[in-house]
Amino acid sequence: MDAVLVQAIINGLLLGGVYAAYSAGFSLIFGVMGVVNLAHGELIMLGAFTSYWLFQFFNLDPYFSAPFAMVFLFSFGYLVQRFILNRVMGLPHIMSYILTFGLHLMVANIAIKIWTHDFRSITTSYSGANAAILGLNIPYARLITFVVALFVTWGLWFFLMKTETGRAIRATAQDKEVARLMGVDIRNIYAVTFGLGAAITGLSGAVISPFVIISPEMGLEYTIIAFCVVVLGGMGYIPGALVGGLTLGVAQSLAATYLNAGVSVAITFIILFMMLVIRPTGILGKGNIA
Amino acid sequence: MNSKADRIILILFLLVSAGLFFVPGFVESEYVLRLITMVIFWVGIAGCWNIMSGYTGYIDFGPVVYFGIGSYVNAIAMTKYSLAFFPSLFLSGVLSAVVALIIGIPTLRLKGAYFAIATFAFAEAMKQITLEFDRTFKVSFFQGSDGITLPISGYDNAFFFYCILPVTFLVMLTHYFIEHSKFGYGLKAIKEAEVGAEISGVNTTAIKLRAYITSAFFLGLFGAIEAYWITYITPSEVFNVQKTVQMVIMTLLGGMGTFLGPIVGATFLTLLSESLGTRFVEYYLIMIGAIIIVAILIMPSGIIGTLKIRKRLRFI
Repeated sequence: MDAVLVQAIINGLLLGGVYAAYSAGFSLIFGVMGVVNLAHGELIMLGAFTSYWLFQFFNLDPYFSAPFAMVFLFSFGYLVQRFILNRVMGLPHIMSYILTFGLHLMVANIAIKIWTHDFRSITTSYSGANAAILGLNIPYARLITFVVALFVTWGLWFFLMKTETGRAIRATAQDKEVARLMGVDIRNIYAVTFGLGAAITGLSGAVISPFVIISPEMGLEYTIIAFCVVVLGGMGYIPGALVGGLTLGVAQSLAATYLNAGVSVAITFIILFMMLVIRPTGILGKGNIA
Repeated sequence: MNSKADRIILILFLLVSAGLFFVPGFVESEYVLRLITMVIFWVGIAGCWNIMSGYTGYIDFGPVVYFGIGSYVNAIAMTKYSLAFFPSLFLSGVLSAVVALIIGIPTLRLKGAYFAIATFAFAEAMKQITLEFDRTFKVSFFQGSDGITLPISGYDNAFFFYCILPVTFLVMLTHYFIEHSKFGYGLKAIKEAEVGAEISGVNTTAIKLRAYITSAFFLGLFGAIEAYWITYITPSEVFNVQKTVQMVIMTLLGGMGTFLGPIVGATFLTLLSESLGTRFVEYYLIMIGAIIIVAILIMPSGIIGTLKIRKRLRFI
């Protein structure tokens, strides 16, 4: 096989794994609460900044600041759901989208005010270093992040399947009235779910910080990618995030390699639009249509 | 009581519209004239979003695409094909409506979040296509990020005031029609219970499409006018999601699915952003974010909507 093609596919898979990790949280929140979290990108941004500031002040490696990002974002997500979003759970879903959109505007612009528009980056000892395997270039940072991303996505799946809280969350997603009858505290579960989704997303933000540009405005672009991944994989179906992420990653990588970067963005949206119109339940057909 | 209030509103509306006709004659300052024009402009644009999403409840996150299409059709018609402004303007509206028809048919089958994301995706796709088309296919048509410069009109601000005012008037007239017709009744029925409406004999597909196309037509006109006015367009500007954000917020704040809603919301927010100026963009956006959150939590029907509920008025 042509080396350029293989390299493009590898790049795409590495990219896709990361996409999957930060889209899983989005899918979870939609699957359980029907909320399209338009502030999703801001969760990533906050995770990336947590990592950045810990690196600046304590020289803490981004992969070790990930737990801090998780804790911080879990609390943030829990509080947002508990005190703001829970109030609109009974209303039509559109209210929650608009609410999260308002949240996006506030968080992104407050961040711009505090941290300015400046772009930042984290340079570690291994930034820019590549592993050369079989003649291919695989950047260390991306490889580690890819592995972490897979582990995190698996971890989320494990949590949902094998723990009591996870069962409560799945029950709520399936039928919240019956879950309530079974003794599940819905309002608390909603908050925990949002917190969990936010934690995963924040963690992803922290582990991509070694190789992405960090700025308060980075969020929107990631929200859009999360949309695309989750629609491809099936809204509310966590393993689908992996399928969607890898597919999108490879598609984008191929387009960027053989055409140009701008076209790969155009293709992302065209794919998204076509998927919604032709097959809204995703490639595997396991998504929810709220 | 209701129909009396309704008649008063109608008379007031017509009087204000007629009165606005004389504004350029009376207003001395070019700045104030431009400001008033911007207010009327945004009332019209917010009104377009209201026609579709306000009344039917189908939240459209991509209306800016029709604005952009209008801008580009006008720009290309006037530069590449040397068409005069008014025929070009008409063409912009018509082509926007045609695209809306083509896109509306598959997209309006989707519900809720999916409709919102699909419309958003379409808008962003158009932006990217306009940016990359020339380079990918080696032609010179959209000019990508270089943008298109339209012929200088030589007209003053008053001319554009008189272009925008009638379009906004038509948008508001459409609102009035919606408030007093079976068509509008059907739209509202879709918002409340679409399946019930369908069973009751409302052709939901047809009227959703009509609302969508009407909204797109007017947005196309606005896009064309703005292109001619500022004489330079780029994809990132005319397909900018910020315009959608503005439309949504203005209608939301004013009251979705009401006649006066877009007027109140657009006026308030245009004047607010103008008073905050360009130095305080972030403060403006933070404030908008806070307003959205507060509005949704305590006043989800907007100012006019809440007023309607409290005072039991029907046609504002």
